[in-house]
Amino acid sequence: MTLQQFLQQDHRACDDLFAVAEQAASGGDLALAKDGFERFRQAVLRHFAAEEGMLFPAFEDATGMRMGPTQVMRMEHEQMRAMMNAAAAALAGGDREGFLGQVDSLLITMQQHNMKEENVLYPMCDQHLAAAPALLERLQAALREG
Amino acid sequence: MQALLAFEQGPPVAVPARFFLTAPLYLVLAGVLLAFEGQAVFASRWTPAALALTHLLTLGFMLQIMLGALIQILPVVAGAHLPQPRLLAAVVHPALNLGVLSLALGFLQGASTWMYAAAVFLVIALGVFIAASGWALWRVPSTSPSIRGLKIALLALLITVVSGVYMLLALAGGWPLVLDRVANLHAGWGLGGWTAILLAAVAYVVVPMFQLTPGYPARLAWWFPRLVFLALLLWSVGALVGVEWLVTVARVLLVLTTGGFVIATLLLQKKRRRARVDVTFRYWQFALYAVLAALTMALAEGVWPALGEFKAWPLLLGLLVVLGGDVAFITGMLYKIVPFLLWFDLQNRSAIGQPPPAMNRLLAEVEAEYQLYLFYLAGGGLLAAWIWPAAMVIPAGVLIVLTGAGLFLNLVRACWRYRGFRLQAVVNGERA
Repeated sequence: MTLQQFLQQDHRACDDLFAVAEQAASGGDLALAKDGFERFRQAVLRHFAAEEGMLFPAFEDATGMRMGPTQVMRMEHEQMRAMMNAAAAALAGGDREGFLGQVDSLLITMQQHNMKEENVLYPMCDQHLAAAPALLERLQAALREG
Repeated sequence: MQALLAFEQGPPVAVPARFFLTAPLYLVLAGVLLAFEGQAVFASRWTPAALALTHLLTLGFMLQIMLGALIQILPVVAGAHLPQPRLLAAVVHPALNLGVLSLALGFLQGASTWMYAAAVFLVIALGVFIAASGWALWRVPSTSPSIRGLKIALLALLITVVSGVYMLLALAGGWPLVLDRVANLHAGWGLGGWTAILLAAVAYVVVPMFQLTPGYPARLAWWFPRLVFLALLLWSVGALVGVEWLVTVARVLLVLTTGGFVIATLLLQKKRRRARVDVTFRYWQFALYAVLAALTMALAEGVWPALGEFKAWPLLLGLLVVLGGDVAFITGMLYKIVPFLLWFDLQNRSAIGQPPPAMNRLLAEVEAEYQLYLFYLAGGGLLAAWIWPAAMVIPAGVLIVLTGAGLFLNLVRACWRYRGFRLQAVVNGERA
């Protein structure tokens, strides 16, 4: 399995959790939405942490590109963390419309972010980090928790 | 490749916004024209009123939004950097609008002065746009089916413009010309080539993104633009040298290819993981089924050519493709693009850790829903007017005016709210 295949799979898994939470809120079940959104958020945060802690540094070491794509990805992670907090806060306050609005923009931001990673960054990682097979196993171990 | 990573490289939001805000006014104009001249519109596709109405919709509404959206997304989707996007919009937007209005007047009054004016303005608008985007696009390699599709679509636009201007000059100058043959090709390249290929190239990206569907099958995504282009080429050659069987083969190929794409999209949507049914999704569903109905009609006409002899037949086909399909698809798209671009701009202005107000505070779902219902009613009204023109053209025209005005109001209101949030950001001392 390549880094791209594995990380793309994890994106899809996060998408599924997202869809469950959004669907619950759309249907008016805020308790289920809260539970679902929390699970989604934890999964995304684990994904971000694994990338920022293992994948990006390995990429930067291998290519010497420190201010390039990984920097943009880190900034977008930061934006999405803030958006997830805002969505969770809306849900905690019982604001269904506010939550649905926040996750609508979150979804687009997340999808365009994933697209960049899957089409550009991950293929570059597979190209430059082929000599680091332990990396894939470490990522798999980190994302299998929870 | 790096270019794909930088969303910030899109032009400022005011550049595409002017196209998006002007376009709905042409739906209003089209509705007014239908209310006053509706009987002529439904008499035949060749009446001045029918030609004016067609171009108000295809150029004033559809092309306008497509050009604005392309100026915005070419750097993002294709990594193709347009030279001077602000200047480009400052030339293309007024020239296109003057061109469309002159063209409509030229048709309605049969006035050659207006037709020449239209030709000049449209050549400026589209010549500049095609040159700029062609220059930007052909410098990037076709690494995705979307980029390949955009390039092929642009070629189809060029052929549409050249054939259109040629007919316009012939009409204005009274040249002898077999208009209906060229007109069919012109419509084929414009709707089947430019519009369908462009919408497909965009759909490859946005359908999986907004609805969480699997991606389009790679073979279909790469081959659809090429097959459509090939079909149109065969059709043109057949029509120009007078080989009827080639025309028939080409049209069947065109219908089957487009039908394949529509069915693939419907199947993908069945596999979507996002169950929420929003206004964009409902507009797209409407569009897909309308196009499917139109393709069925086209196939039936291929089997029984006599059907095409009824004057009402091509009118219904055109209505289904243009209003039911393209206008609906593009409107659904606008409801995603406009709030997202405004929101994205606010996001870039706000401090880290302080996300801007949610998108639905710029444009609420329920506001878009009212406009969607008016669109459904307008669709029903048009169908009724097609059956009973004398009684129904006025109500149908009024409904189109209402749905166009509703769209205009929704978009203007979103921009107005955006301004409010922006001022608030200034007050809060954030980057403005």
